[in-house]
Amino acid sequence: MTTNVPVIDAHPAVPSLPKNYLNCSAGFMSWAGTLDHKRIGLMYLIGTGIAFLAGGLFALLVRLHLWEPHGMLFSNETYNQVFTLHGAFMVFLFVIPAIPGSLGNMVMPLMLGAKDVALPRLNLLSFYLWITGAVLATLAIILGGFDTGWTFYTPYSLYTDQAVVSIGLAVFTLGFSSIFTGLNFIVTVHKLRAPGLTWFRMPLFVWAIYATSILQVLATPVLGITVLLVAFERLYHIGIFDPRLGGDPVLFEHFFWFYSHPAVYIMVLPAFGIISELVSVHSRKPLFGYKLIAFSSIAIAIISFLVWGHHMFTSGQSTYAMFAFSFLTFFVAIPTAIKEFSWVATIWKGSIALNSPMLYTLAFLIIFAIGGLTGVILGSLNVDLHLHDTYFVVAHFHYVMMGSIALAFFAGLHHWWPKMFGVMYDETLAKIACGIIFVGFNATFIPQFIMGSQGMPRRYATYVPEFAGYHMASTCGAMLLGCGVALMVYYLVASLLQRKPAMENQWGGVTLDWQTPTPPPLENFHTPPKVVHEVYDYSTLDLHSMQRPIS
Amino acid sequence: MSHDGHHSVVVPAPGPEFVPHTVAHHFDTPVQEFQAAKLGFWLFLATEILLFGGLFAAYFYYHEMYPETFKVGGHQLDWKLGALNTTVLLASSWTMAMGVRSAQTSQKQKTLMFCGLTVLGAAAFMVVKFFEYSAKNEHGFIVFKNLFAPYDEATGQLAWFQPHGTEMANVPHGHMFFAIYLTMTAIHGLHVIIGAGLIVWVMKGVAKGRFHSGYFLPVDLVGLYWHLVDLIWIFLFPLLYLVP
Amino acid sequence: MFALLTQDPAKINYVADPAKAPTLDAFGQLPELASTFGHVDGLFYFTYAVCIFFFVLIVGVLLFSVVKYHRKTFDQPAASNVTHNTPLEVVWTVIPLIIVMVMFAWGFDGCMDMHYAPHAASQNQFKATAKQWSWTFNYPNDPSQSFNEVWIPVDKPVQFVLESTDVLHAFYMPSMRVKRDVIPGRLQTVWFHPKKEGEFHLFCAEYCGDDHSRMYAKVHVVKQSVYDTRPWDQWKDATPAEAAASGESLYKQICASCHSVNGTPSVGPSWKGMFTKQGENYVGRQREVVEGGAKKTITVDDAYITESIQKPDQKKVAEEPYVKNAMTAFPTLEERKIKGLIQYMKSLADAK
Repeated sequence: MTTNVPVIDAHPAVPSLPKNYLNCSAGFMSWAGTLDHKRIGLMYLIGTGIAFLAGGLFALLVRLHLWEPHGMLFSNETYNQVFTLHGAFMVFLFVIPAIPGSLGNMVMPLMLGAKDVALPRLNLLSFYLWITGAVLATLAIILGGFDTGWTFYTPYSLYTDQAVVSIGLAVFTLGFSSIFTGLNFIVTVHKLRAPGLTWFRMPLFVWAIYATSILQVLATPVLGITVLLVAFERLYHIGIFDPRLGGDPVLFEHFFWFYSHPAVYIMVLPAFGIISELVSVHSRKPLFGYKLIAFSSIAIAIISFLVWGHHMFTSGQSTYAMFAFSFLTFFVAIPTAIKEFSWVATIWKGSIALNSPMLYTLAFLIIFAIGGLTGVILGSLNVDLHLHDTYFVVAHFHYVMMGSIALAFFAGLHHWWPKMFGVMYDETLAKIACGIIFVGFNATFIPQFIMGSQGMPRRYATYVPEFAGYHMASTCGAMLLGCGVALMVYYLVASLLQRKPAMENQWGGVTLDWQTPTPPPLENFHTPPKVVHEVYDYSTLDLHSMQRPIS
Repeated sequence: MSHDGHHSVVVPAPGPEFVPHTVAHHFDTPVQEFQAAKLGFWLFLATEILLFGGLFAAYFYYHEMYPETFKVGGHQLDWKLGALNTTVLLASSWTMAMGVRSAQTSQKQKTLMFCGLTVLGAAAFMVVKFFEYSAKNEHGFIVFKNLFAPYDEATGQLAWFQPHGTEMANVPHGHMFFAIYLTMTAIHGLHVIIGAGLIVWVMKGVAKGRFHSGYFLPVDLVGLYWHLVDLIWIFLFPLLYLVP
Repeated sequence: MFALLTQDPAKINYVADPAKAPTLDAFGQLPELASTFGHVDGLFYFTYAVCIFFFVLIVGVLLFSVVKYHRKTFDQPAASNVTHNTPLEVVWTVIPLIIVMVMFAWGFDGCMDMHYAPHAASQNQFKATAKQWSWTFNYPNDPSQSFNEVWIPVDKPVQFVLESTDVLHAFYMPSMRVKRDVIPGRLQTVWFHPKKEGEFHLFCAEYCGDDHSRMYAKVHVVKQSVYDTRPWDQWKDATPAEAAASGESLYKQICASCHSVNGTPSVGPSWKGMFTKQGENYVGRQREVVEGGAKKTITVDDAYITESIQKPDQKKVAEEPYVKNAMTAFPTLEERKIKGLIQYMKSLADAK
């Protein structure tokens, strides 16, 4: 994290640039001890970005290993550690914290017209808890790694001779980082909205972050106590999850998914928020069905607490439980479908700018359609009995977590990059990278759908030879995807060095985040804003601000 | 934050022995600051309850699975000591409430006295807890020195649970009751200690005159925390000591 | 770290002899159905078709919009500023709702079919015991067990009682469309009605540790007449040579994953050199073991091998690199089979 900070400081912005949050003070402590939400957001961006690249590296190793049926690189044990690392890094260090931590921190207070989040010190504490969690996770690797899968299913996680306690504490710490972020954002939305900014004038990104925060606060403590109990179990054998001692491993599954199913929405709701913003701005059209989208976020948040059992259809639950969980699972498909339809309807008859954030958004809409629809296939009880724990599930949740969430994150990053740094990246390279990522991603996971429905189980270090062709195709796709991400990292970092100035209002947004100077000053707004228009009212857009470079 | 050219709101002190309070720069009014912190703290308390909720769920699950174990296990606990501790905590909740009230009315000495009494209550609670744990240790229900000993797979014996010659030896998975008892009361005990530490920290602020009728937020929040600690015990006591 | 990046050949645990690949069904998505659970395929393809319809619809509208309405000049306003259309929103809420409710009912109905075994299946009850990392099968009214391979009669409903002796596993047969977790301490069952003869995959589908991917069994669905010949028990031990041959086939099923016969150390010691031939007699080698915490040197003999198979922890090998590895116990292995294994072990010392 600290290595990148000088990159920003070493190029003391173009001399004419007015004082902003990046150049108002310098030195290590001005960053490490900052209470400014934008700087904290930036540190989150760097931290979660590094975690994403590390997790991606593990993914490429996994794919390379599976090039041959008997495995190409590792022993089975090492393979198990590598896929566990991929899952744990991606889920706990990247997907959950990335969007709220970086873009949420950076943009949400701006959208509210606030000077900061409500509890800035707690915000910094969240970030340091994240760092502590990352250090503990890395420590677990140094202590010999862990091979439990990111789900830590008992009793295997109790018996394996690996660093489970260390990663358990890492997850516990990261959980509290997530709780504090959520708590902070809820308070901020309730208490720090600018005058005139009623609930139904809030941009949908704020709504999405708000729904996410509720989930973070209500679901994460259960994960906290669960991993803590696993740690106790390993330290002094309480027996709660240990069948040798009369415990029930299925209870662990209930505890784990009670958190981890809502966690799926903790991950995906912020992505929905980003897409809602971008679809509107880049189509220059008010969002279709604003209230329905806002309510569907809340509906998803509530229903998501009641569907955890659909991860356990094969564990022999009672038929009543299966009935309820399957029914509610199908039910959650409806608000999700409403969102997708509303985004498409927003683009319809819009003024569609085909710039890189919009291309990432279109890629999201296509990939999320596949990710969501394949979820419906898995929701059916009898079909799930066949597909559960196969590559079909792997492909499905990658379409949601990597294809949708990471792509939405990239879309948001490209959208707010000029706002954050006042510089523009190379648009041509960005469009090329988006294309490579889109093609590479689909090439990776479409073969996984096929082999999954043919019966290829997940978490296999070796496999029966009939699946070799699909695995090779998938590995090729993953390499292409890796190249696309590498290209993206390259031009984004290059843009910080080349310092091609951005426009005042690069994309023509009308929410409050585009009505501050670029980059924003430390206190966000020189004069406290008042909101008089409805949200997404493009008749108020000053078109010339899109063509005026920042000065 | 004066270097931004922003002037924060200042709440005047009610008397010479008190210090004025400067509202954080991103709030417009002290009321906004108070409400934001209070909302945040209530949310935090909700997460605490959910954290214990997992333990309660485990308690009910195994109570259902091994009713005999929980019945006999409950009889091994001394309900009189539990009741004593309940009384102590209830009393300390009252002293804490009085402490908050005194801070709101800028009565420095009274605030210090009530907060001090609360800390004493916390200490008394931990002392009683110590005696209870010692008794469990003696009976072999929780052998503390063996707590972290590895599990012996060959014999299937837990080193920390040696109930030989007691009723607990005859019930299925007798350790389950004491594992849950220990985990719940230890985590609760940790909360008592943290709560007492927070009260001491608040008392330092009170002594310096930082908290008064114009600004008593930290006293208020710590008070809420203490009531939560009390509340959780109110559920633990009947479940562990009385329900069986 | 670099050592992690290279494969240790001794630790490759790969299913060398799986069943041959099942043929795929007409759409190429699912393996050809070999049981009566056709409702899985029906609902799968119905949902698939619905998904393709919606996917084409969404992508079609997107592409059309991008082509027709993309921004030509930077100040081009949107062609329409409609923010809602209640009838349209009701339609796209209600129609998907109806469709998913159909799917739900269809899926639940099918699940009930798979959940409750018919009487005939529970009369034809097999037992599958899962442990890290192998399957052991018991047959109805038959004393013999088989390992990582099981024979069932075609066209007769069958039920498997599932038991785990250590961690979570799952019983998964793609061709039969069945999957069920195997949970230590809980009774789990699964049933199906095999309709096709052939060899089928049985995978472990719940992650269970190092060799999860090697936890594989081959399921032979055979005619009743073939089943009646008890193909899982082709044990012959009339002569020492026959016993050694039978022992060798059993070795390949249950021992080969941890014990080599060519001297290469694996998870456990190699069987090569366990006995040497002196004249007509086989003499066991010396071995350092730990018994009851005490280290001692013993001479390998029939009694020691038998004990090591039944209770491997009794006298644990104290030599590197096997010290930290524990052997799986086979307490119920029949005596004649243990004798066959010993005979095979001894035959390794013959000639060559």
